[in-house]
Amino acid sequence: MKSLSGTFSRITPADEPSRLRRLGNVNWGPLLATLALAMIGVATVRSAASELGPSYAYRQIVWVVVGCLALAVLFRLDYRKLVDLAPALYLFGLSLLVLVLFVGEVRGGAKSWLAIGPFGGQPSEFAKLSTVLMLARYLAGQRRAFLDLRQISVAALIVLVPVVLIAAERDLGTAAMYLPMLAGMLLVAGVRPRMLATFALIGLVSAAGLWTFAMKPYQKTRIVSFLSPEKDPLGAGYQVRQSKIAVGSGQWTGRGYGQGTQSQLRFLPARHTDFIMAVLAEEWGFAGVLVVLALYGGFITSTAGIAARSRDRAGILLVVGLVSTITFHVIYNASMVVGLLPITGIPMPFLSYGGSFTLVNFMATGLILNIDFRRYVNR
Amino acid sequence: MELRRHRAELISRLNVLSRLAQVLVVLIAAGYWSVQVANGAYYRELADHNRLRKRAIDASRGLIFDRHGQPLVENVPSYSLMLDRSRAQDLDRSLELVVSILGTPDQELRKILESHRSTPRFRPITLAEDLSLAELARFEVQRLEYPEFEVATNQLRLYRYAHQTSHILGYLGEVGERELQIAATDPRASYKPGDLVGKKGIELQHERLLRGADGEQVVVVDSRGQTIEKYQDTDRRRDAEAGRNLTLSLDLNLQQQAARLLEGKVGSIVAMDPRTGEILAMASSPAFNPNLFARRIQKEEWRRLIEDPYHPLQNRALQNTYPPGSVFKIVMAVAALEESAIDPSHKVFCRGFSMINDHRYRCWKSAGHGWVNLNDAIKYSCNVYFHQLGQKLDVDTIAHYSRLFGLGSKSGIDLAGEKAGLVPDRAWSRRARGTKWFPGETISVATGQGPLLVTPLQVAVMASVVAMNGRLVTPTFLSRPTSGKLKDLGISPRSLQLTREAMWTVVNDEGTGRSASIDGFEIAGKTGTAQVVRQETWTKNEDLAAEKRDHAWFASFGPFDDPKLTVVVFIEHGGAGSEAAAPLAKAMYEEFVGNLQPHHPG
Repeated sequence: MKSLSGTFSRITPADEPSRLRRLGNVNWGPLLATLALAMIGVATVRSAASELGPSYAYRQIVWVVVGCLALAVLFRLDYRKLVDLAPALYLFGLSLLVLVLFVGEVRGGAKSWLAIGPFGGQPSEFAKLSTVLMLARYLAGQRRAFLDLRQISVAALIVLVPVVLIAAERDLGTAAMYLPMLAGMLLVAGVRPRMLATFALIGLVSAAGLWTFAMKPYQKTRIVSFLSPEKDPLGAGYQVRQSKIAVGSGQWTGRGYGQGTQSQLRFLPARHTDFIMAVLAEEWGFAGVLVVLALYGGFITSTAGIAARSRDRAGILLVVGLVSTITFHVIYNASMVVGLLPITGIPMPFLSYGGSFTLVNFMATGLILNIDFRRYVNR
Repeated sequence: MELRRHRAELISRLNVLSRLAQVLVVLIAAGYWSVQVANGAYYRELADHNRLRKRAIDASRGLIFDRHGQPLVENVPSYSLMLDRSRAQDLDRSLELVVSILGTPDQELRKILESHRSTPRFRPITLAEDLSLAELARFEVQRLEYPEFEVATNQLRLYRYAHQTSHILGYLGEVGERELQIAATDPRASYKPGDLVGKKGIELQHERLLRGADGEQVVVVDSRGQTIEKYQDTDRRRDAEAGRNLTLSLDLNLQQQAARLLEGKVGSIVAMDPRTGEILAMASSPAFNPNLFARRIQKEEWRRLIEDPYHPLQNRALQNTYPPGSVFKIVMAVAALEESAIDPSHKVFCRGFSMINDHRYRCWKSAGHGWVNLNDAIKYSCNVYFHQLGQKLDVDTIAHYSRLFGLGSKSGIDLAGEKAGLVPDRAWSRRARGTKWFPGETISVATGQGPLLVTPLQVAVMASVVAMNGRLVTPTFLSRPTSGKLKDLGISPRSLQLTREAMWTVVNDEGTGRSASIDGFEIAGKTGTAQVVRQETWTKNEDLAAEKRDHAWFASFGPFDDPKLTVVVFIEHGGAGSEAAAPLAKAMYEEFVGNLQPHHPG
């Protein structure tokens, strides 16, 4: 092993042929899945937002292009330098989250939009990356077989600070999306089974507490209506029911592109964002759904492979954190659209319309490829 | 070694998680299979018989009134024939019915169908608009046999005074990509394809106000798509917000008078309250019938309007620029007095032309005016006197005063498409032409010729500055109760007084504008006759081809002691301002005086 790493340590950026050979050793699966899903996404956004004008599809294309550039940038930087810089990036992310509380614009009910001249974005999305980096750096430094309670608490605190700030923006959906990242990274870093059971119990008790004391009536009706959507077709169960009709009416091969009655007749809410899967399922049928799910499955499997052959702890944990977030989005969104989980504003990675969200997911893919690219370099 | 051992554990835990995710994805695929394949037929049935429809509730567009509350535009219901292709058993048979009832050529109908090839089949498309009640009834009778036809009711804009207000009110057109993009960022502007929006004039300027906001409602429909029940659910109903009504500064009587006076002519009339900038009338001729645009305009009619050599769509009052000719002498007189370049009583001898630097500049009167002072020069519009001023004043000084009077920049009126015109100076010459300014050009500018270009609206603002004792007004189409927005230009009262008095003699003391004089209502004015082609000799205008004839101008205000109205008349290739323009201004003042005393005998 020593001699092997010794050989690779001599490689410099100027050493072009070896560089190319190394590029050939990178697993490009995640990139191919990302690009294929993004293209399917643009086409579906165009159909879903056809009533709102073609500008939605154009903007999504722009974001995909910008996403590709960001992906390339994050591929070029050495991920270990980013891990070294993690505390600074983390603090920068937090300061943006604080800033948006004061000067942010309200969009879609949440004060989460930070405008910089003609541009703008949601710091809550970008802080995902800095938080993953910080968490990976902290957990990579803990080298025992299992984490102790103090270490788990520190890790939880690292995630909790941005989550509280984002919750203060009234953007609970995005805030909740930080938890799969934490759970995935802790589980891989090592939690004793007994401690895991304790956490599960605490989780159950607090969920019951939330239901009784903290949840707003509309949030409760959402869950109740999820359990029996047929009771009130125009009330809270409306969205689930219309979404299921859209998905089901697609049958095997779909209604055809742009011909979905459910999507085109405006039965579906948030057609181009949270319910994009329903539009896809209606217009391309089960065949289309299978293609998309296969792409996501391929993405998850290939990134898990990248994590497994990553050269250091930080690399493994980084991939786990990034992929846990994306995977949770995929599983939740795909389930909610077909009525398997209650409806919440969780978009579909690479498919749904949205600038910051698209950009951050592309950046995540860039980081994952970066880790694979540098798995030999010993520096 | 310990590190490597932990690494293996990390990776095995990672693999467990990855497996879990894969299993979940497979389970989700099974969920989709259950809904799409196992129960697909059931959901397809539900989708096809989805009895709930979201219907837009169109907001009714605001009305527009003149200053006295006379409606200028109204909304009238109109019926369109819609075809839902997904309900038609045989499209040929459907088209046959339309041909038999409406008499539309089959070919035309097929062209419409062709243009909607990419529209979802279940979305009704418009086959014909503006059905008569008789035609409507014949379709209703066939309802059962032809369920594919629906009748949509929408509101059409009817402009009561058609041509007479066309350039001001503008018209509506089908929403375009630009508006849809605005709608994407502005939740208040809820445009959807096919909506009609303001494209020109006031309809465009105040689109947001007039439009209101569409509402939305979920309805239960029967198998033919007819609403049988409105769903009483406040959560899913958003009421339409009607557009706001708009009261303009326009005076309908004056506007109609202006339009009538311009009939058969090419030109423009602007009538404005100099105290507030309120436009009382603004007519441009030739005009067009905006009611043509209310429905999707017929291609043939559109082509005719676009190709018309007189460009009826242009508002000549502010979209076209012309040389001002002698009405510019108002600015020259003030500039010379302010710069103390002349003594108003100093006399110049006019022999019909000036010889400056071996170049001959003519006066309009070939016999010459003899000895003239400043007042005479304005009264008789003597060019020779102003040629002298052009030698005494620098072109940059003239440009400075022109800009003070509002020339060379947009007046800021609340109507889109205004032109700024051109006030030439040395900097402009270098920048735009790349040559230095020739002194001889200043002589031309002094009589309102040369590169100088103005709009009739700017001339109205210019005349109002003199009327209002050196205060600049911003014209507007909205009725304002009081002034207060006038900008004092800091011109000495003496200069303005002398100019004003000279303008009084133009109309009331045998000057060039005497044909505008009215008993009991003293008008001050200035005629202008702008050359279109440079003439070395005195050719009678009647002997020239129409497109080479001079432009006629008359700029005026009244009553002299307490100005309430500024009138500018401009006739393209009309000939002399004294003959072609001044009498029209007189008719405008007569209408205005008649309005003031509605029960005046006779």
